[in-house]
Amino acid sequence: MDIDSTGALFQAAAKGDASAWEALVGRLSPLVWSVVRAHRLIDADAHEVFQTTWFRLADNLTRIKEPDKIGAWLASTARHECLKVIRGSRRVVPTSDIDVLSPEADDRSPEQAVLDAEESAGREATLRKVWQAYEQLSENCRRLLRVLMASPPPSYAEVAAGLGMAIGSIGPTRGRCLGQLRRLLA
Amino acid sequence: MSGDVEPGGPEREDTDLEESLRRAAQLFDPVPVSLMEVAVEAFRFRTVDAELAELTFDSLAGAAAVRGPAQARVLGFGGPGAGLDLEITAAGASLRVVGQVTPPAHVVVEVRGDAPVSVGTDAFGRFTVDRVPPGPLSFRCRVGDAVFTTEWVTV
Repeated sequence: MDIDSTGALFQAAAKGDASAWEALVGRLSPLVWSVVRAHRLIDADAHEVFQTTWFRLADNLTRIKEPDKIGAWLASTARHECLKVIRGSRRVVPTSDIDVLSPEADDRSPEQAVLDAEESAGREATLRKVWQAYEQLSENCRRLLRVLMASPPPSYAEVAAGLGMAIGSIGPTRGRCLGQLRRLLA
Repeated sequence: MSGDVEPGGPEREDTDLEESLRRAAQLFDPVPVSLMEVAVEAFRFRTVDAELAELTFDSLAGAAAVRGPAQARVLGFGGPGAGLDLEITAAGASLRVVGQVTPPAHVVVEVRGDAPVSVGTDAFGRFTVDRVPPGPLSFRCRVGDAVFTTEWVTV
């Protein structure tokens, strides 16, 4: 299959195309995961919110009217579920506990394994420094940058939906937070 | 990368730093593969025949929502002609769900989630399900000729 746009993938999935759905999951999971991580839930809650978000999309496949905005729909759904989980239990990860610097070897994607293999030790050390500096940023900066880190890069509309922020404030906040990060790395 | 961005300018530096963060996230906090598999699987379990009963009330929604561990989560779902009210309480590591289908009737309620189960209601549409594991949860039931499925919630 060679469908470029997320909207086209969504429409194909809505008509029953399982491979289009799988491609959609591959493309938008990093966005959903980033929104969930930005809210710093404990792992069990993060996993549950991620699943709920995709289950909702599956049940709403034939009901969603704007296929091109599906990324924003997912981001917004994930955000609202995160907020409810936080209100329900207040189980939120303290900064130091989110030390996911060594993901389980058996839970890596093929891409991840390739990435690992390709990373030279020096390059990985550099990225680790970047990641550790990121963890020292203010809460607001960590939230925004965690969503911007999704791959492929999310649109500002998707970021806004995932964080409940005005689109206009994303650019300036991003510049300020990346500046802080650069100073931490200097 | 657009050609009109001056190489080495602040915008370019920000783009490069953000790209490093993206690579770091892929390395240190990737989407767990097991979760991707669950999301792919969701396609097979989607409802295509049923009406969707939307979440119309949630005790955790809105700014005033406050809940301690011992209190109940109260949820209301409504669809065309039928609805479902739920009260969810923690019972040890699992959950107890007490519900009522409206209009009241003898129906079968199917619990969708990590531990799928079906229960019958009494004549008033009431039912209780014990030992429900925390996680995504949805309910499906047939009232008369209509089948409805609730939106998924995280409990």
